[in-house]
Amino acid sequence: MKELLKELCLINGTSGDETLVRNAIIEKIKDYCEYRVDNLGNLIAFCIGKKSSEKKLMIAAHMDEVGFIVMYIRNDGTLCFNEVGGVDTSVVIGRQVTVGNNGICGVVGSTAIHNLSKEQRESAPKYADMYIDIGADSKEEAEKMVSLGDSVYFDSEFAELGGNCVKSKAIDDRAGCALMIQLIREGVDYDTYFVFNVQEEVGLRGSTVSSFAVAPDFAIVLEATTASDIDGVGGAKKVCSLGNGPVVSFMDRSTIYDKELYRMAFDIAAEFGIPCQTKTMIAGGNDSGAIHKSRGGVRTIAVSAPCRYIHSPSCVINMEDFENMLILTRELAKRIHEL
Amino acid sequence: MNLKETIIKLSEAVGASGAETPAAETALDMLKKYCPDAEIINGNVIGRYSTHRDGLPSLVLDAHIDQIGMVVTYITDSGFVKVGNLGGLDRRLLPAQQVVIHGKKDIKGVICSVPPHLSRDDGKVPEIDDIAIDTGYSKAELEKIVSLGDSITFDVKCRCLAGNRITGGALDDRCGVAAILYALELLENRETAYNVTVIFSTQEELGERGAKIGGFALAPDVAIAVDVSFAYAEGEDEKKCGYLGKGAMIGISPCLSREISQGLINAAESANLPYQHEVMNGLTSTNADQYAVAREGAKACTLSIPLRNMHTPVEVIDIDDVRNTAEILAEFMGRAAE
Repeated sequence: MKELLKELCLINGTSGDETLVRNAIIEKIKDYCEYRVDNLGNLIAFCIGKKSSEKKLMIAAHMDEVGFIVMYIRNDGTLCFNEVGGVDTSVVIGRQVTVGNNGICGVVGSTAIHNLSKEQRESAPKYADMYIDIGADSKEEAEKMVSLGDSVYFDSEFAELGGNCVKSKAIDDRAGCALMIQLIREGVDYDTYFVFNVQEEVGLRGSTVSSFAVAPDFAIVLEATTASDIDGVGGAKKVCSLGNGPVVSFMDRSTIYDKELYRMAFDIAAEFGIPCQTKTMIAGGNDSGAIHKSRGGVRTIAVSAPCRYIHSPSCVINMEDFENMLILTRELAKRIHEL
Repeated sequence: MNLKETIIKLSEAVGASGAETPAAETALDMLKKYCPDAEIINGNVIGRYSTHRDGLPSLVLDAHIDQIGMVVTYITDSGFVKVGNLGGLDRRLLPAQQVVIHGKKDIKGVICSVPPHLSRDDGKVPEIDDIAIDTGYSKAELEKIVSLGDSITFDVKCRCLAGNRITGGALDDRCGVAAILYALELLENRETAYNVTVIFSTQEELGERGAKIGGFALAPDVAIAVDVSFAYAEGEDEKKCGYLGKGAMIGISPCLSREISQGLINAAESANLPYQHEVMNGLTSTNADQYAVAREGAKACTLSIPLRNMHTPVEVIDIDDVRNTAEILAEFMGRAAE
């Protein structure tokens, strides 16, 4: 599972530019299910189960990652850019980035600390003041390598940390994609739709149309969610903690989750002896926001990997939480049909 | 020698101020090709070039071997590593950076970043006291690997940009080290007007401390600090900067020797080598300041490689400027002999 996660995280695919991710996923699932790609680029797979059921279940994750887009090329050959999805500028300044699908290297530079006023040193930069330096000395030189609208990505390795943790870009939400690939390949008990969505980070746009198309009765959304169990943060503000198991929340900024499914998740965790936690702040949101309101309503639950430094080049998750998500999701999928 | 490969190898070597050994040993291995008796003395890499002859003035070529970084100051009960800074760190760009802690073994970590729902959204930059590193390990596990005082560096590999530009994490001042090595290569079989000694000095980022003791030990007549200086980029003051790709920056300052500044300019002009002026109005904040006043004094000058984004993990240089720096140095040392 770690290898699969690594492979998916290192593929570049920001919102609206998910092709490479989708192609890689298709390669991995095509022998195990039927699938189609819709007009927005959502990958909708259908797995026939050992048993059929009256209820229609959709499991979903999103393929896109946060990134950037080239907005303008200046006369000096530097690139003006903006965020795709929400990325705090403090995790953008001073990074190596990859521009476009030809893998052009660049850096988000910074005025030398020596030359900043005290006030400048103490305030976060703005996108309008940042630029990407690809080494080009003129607009003409830059235009040979880069086009307006090119997607930009963090150039960040997948690294193993201590305590069974891993660090990478794009764990949000290639973690969910990896789990779905695993579930498809191992086969399902009941017929199940697996939807790999586009454009989650720019407003749940892929899931809006794919959930309409699939028209499920139940949905399980697989995600990564903000954990802030970091130095100097205590109590409720941690939201959730690495190592404490998959996160199943009762409510976030976009959804109040189905109560029966919420309880079911904790019952399963207790039965299987795996940890499971809820969020201690009403924070974040995911494709559930679009899915649960689709058509006449969808009973929805989200199962998430607690993830530190989400939307940065260094997302960190615990692999045990990730493995436990698989156990929990597999069983949830089964029991939903048996409700 | 392959200049680009040399720069990359040096830049990817590890050596924060006060913990320069791995980088110093990498540089020492390279220097021994030109100075077989080179060795590490009190941290500084020092090597005599060629046979020193009676009657010639002594010249020291200096580049500093240390890089900015952090130092472990504390391990919290929940296993986060607290730090102090080694040199001038830009705290604005620390969140979510990948770092390596150089403990009993190297371990990777991520600098904690406060998520948006908790940040006050006032655009304030964290204080160094607020910085913590997440390694995934517990306190008990960490204590077996990491000790207070261990150094920390950004985990960054060099990347090639367009043209002859590269980006990396410790180009300040490993590209200066590379320039000196390349200058020695260019000099081979040429007489020099000086008894030349090379020093790759420690702790420049903490106040030129390695050069302070190196200057005393070597007591040169002439000293050239080969360091980096500001290359113009958006946001910088053009008046204070050189340009990438336009050649080495020859220092002119009340604290430097006019004679050596002019000597470097003459060397560049006679060999048709590009160069830029770097005029300062006092101390240069380079090792040249130390050599100038070591023992009974030295004629000191700076020769600087223009660099963007100084003291960040994404410093940028142009390889042509490093080559040009070496060519001016070789011309300066060799020409005076002829």
